[in-house]
Amino acid sequence: MAKEQMMTGCRAAAEGAKAAEVEVICSYPIRPYTAIMMELSKMVANGELNAEFVHGEGEHAQVSVVLGACASGARAFTGSSGVGVTYAMEVYSPMAGGRYPAQMSIADRTLDPPGDFGSEHTDAMSTRDQGWLLGWACSPQEVYDNTLIAYRVGEDHRVMLPQMVCQDGYFISHIPDKVTLGDQSQVKEFLPPYRPIGPLSTTHPVSHGPQIRPDQGAPMDAMRAQTFLAVPKVIEEATADFNRIFGRNYDPFVEQYKLEDAEIAFFIQGAHANTCRSSVDRLRSQGVKAGMARLRWVRPWPTHQLANALGHVKAVGVIETSTSYGGAMRGGNLIHELRASLYDLDERPLVTSFMGGLGGETIWPKDFDYMAKVLLQAVKEKKIRTYVQWLGM
Amino acid sequence: MQAFDYKFQKFEPLKSFKKAPELEVYVPGHRTCAGCGPALNYRLVAKAAGKETIFIGPTGCMYVANSSYLCTPYACSWIHAQITNGGAVASGIEAAFKVLARKGKHTGAFPNVIVMAGDGGTVDIGLQAMSAMMYRNHKVLFLCYDNESYANTGIQTSPTTPYGAATTFTPPGKEIPEGKVLFPKDPPQLVIGGHPAVKYVATTTVAHPLDLMNKVRKALTYEGPTFLHMLAPCPKGWLFDEKLTREMARLAVETGMWSMYEWEDGVYKYTNVPKKYKPVSEYMKHQGRFAHLKPEHIAKMQAFIDERVKAVKERVAIPIPTPKQTA
Repeated sequence: MAKEQMMTGCRAAAEGAKAAEVEVICSYPIRPYTAIMMELSKMVANGELNAEFVHGEGEHAQVSVVLGACASGARAFTGSSGVGVTYAMEVYSPMAGGRYPAQMSIADRTLDPPGDFGSEHTDAMSTRDQGWLLGWACSPQEVYDNTLIAYRVGEDHRVMLPQMVCQDGYFISHIPDKVTLGDQSQVKEFLPPYRPIGPLSTTHPVSHGPQIRPDQGAPMDAMRAQTFLAVPKVIEEATADFNRIFGRNYDPFVEQYKLEDAEIAFFIQGAHANTCRSSVDRLRSQGVKAGMARLRWVRPWPTHQLANALGHVKAVGVIETSTSYGGAMRGGNLIHELRASLYDLDERPLVTSFMGGLGGETIWPKDFDYMAKVLLQAVKEKKIRTYVQWLGM
Repeated sequence: MQAFDYKFQKFEPLKSFKKAPELEVYVPGHRTCAGCGPALNYRLVAKAAGKETIFIGPTGCMYVANSSYLCTPYACSWIHAQITNGGAVASGIEAAFKVLARKGKHTGAFPNVIVMAGDGGTVDIGLQAMSAMMYRNHKVLFLCYDNESYANTGIQTSPTTPYGAATTFTPPGKEIPEGKVLFPKDPPQLVIGGHPAVKYVATTTVAHPLDLMNKVRKALTYEGPTFLHMLAPCPKGWLFDEKLTREMARLAVETGMWSMYEWEDGVYKYTNVPKKYKPVSEYMKHQGRFAHLKPEHIAKMQAFIDERVKAVKERVAIPIPTPKQTA
């Protein structure tokens, strides 16, 4: 077992890609994810990684290059941040529809305007309906781990889907934390080589992505929807194997922190979960029965797991680190799907939301204290006063 | 990087049309229009390259009219690309086969990686991906079948649509009598002008099948990026009788509307240069897209072509030096 090292989330993503022995890498610079590619380019230049390192001419090209590589049978890796993620938008549906299980490593950044380097999940969240697997880490260790888990899930023949492995820009991507890298035998046991289905070939001619008639479209869409129903089982298996082989303790879908007897709960994804966890401890020391549910996968959305984890809580505060302007709840994205997940329960929690961490702002312990106050008030009044509040304003 | 034998394919020039391989790699079953220039172009390219080829087909006529699900006409591997990203998808394929060959996962001949792009997918929305692929020195043949419009979407103007052509985005009218007012981009010159990794660029037409096939085969022997620009007349878009497809291409060369040349590592070689160019009106009069033009418009076109064919002689005399290819 390798020893613990200090490293950033970007370095951890690069170490994960190296451990996965990625074969085609396509880069384009944009902060903050760039450091992932800086690490990988060194590994290729030093001969530590036998891969083709392609300098893409933009994010659209990055995803296109890995699409071609994946279609040819190579394990492919790319990444981006912010407006780079949205610049590539056209190519996300061909990747998922073509069932090419390449990986894109995202270090989140706000979208323009105005230019802002801070972390915000709107970049990758805006791709959530393109058919990719999508999830967030909350530490450099989890970035490394998710890189391997996502390849294993995405390349499973029951799945065959591209993956976005996300980490908050700066909070995770640039602040070093303790990481234990796996050794080669662990990685080998966990992650089998990529076995493409019907790759481009000189000996077995195939046609990828031909035109269809309108009546052929719906059955194909239905097949993809069916695939997503099968993904949770694959994620469960992969997470269990990962925990066993690497000695970790992940819940496949939702980190549940002190939820068993919780009266109020925070629902969150990404880096701010670390502050949230310590805030739960502080609130508990003050006699508030608080807990936290942290989302690990947005796609597939763990509907039933969330209903089980949060159904008994009296009030949930969703911490929204992405925007959904004009949406049903007037604020972020997660609350819509959480409310839908809880809707069929006989008794369901009150659910409100808080816009926080936008533009790369910190969500402070005092913010969690404030949110707890709002939630306790909702419990007392048996109703929420607003769908959404903006923290720190 | 250490030298590695990727088993690139070798091609000898064909001595005559009769010596062309019998094997058809682009087979019947597609839905192109009668007299389709690009379809004929595709057939000749595929025949010249053989079946150990991977075609990348960016969206365009040769995607939409060819690739019906479960009955595509490709007897080799083919993949659709977006109209935007033919060069990038091809780059990924080439990179993958290189690393897979190095790791022993691909053991056969290195595939001919050929992008078969229309004019929009080459010098308009596809320009960025094409140029970047050329710059990065991928072993890819990028082929532009030029039918001088966005034909598949209903004949809209593209950057290679000639001056004076009526398209559904450049209809002639009282204010704009000539229809299209701009002069076209020059795809091979764009490639030659700014891509030091490129050592071979050539132009040809569907009226010159032996020349076309030999240029494909020559391009495929290079270990880096190459570019072919092919005139592929479109009866529906240009509004001429569908039996005249090859005649249109021939007339384009005879009037100077199209030049046939090879550019090899800085040296131009022109072929099929007429002793005396026919007037451009000889070419334009067969095509409904030019029917609305007045004599002053045709004179403007003639002046443009007169200037352009001057380059034929100058370029033969003054080769443009370029750096030697590396890696």
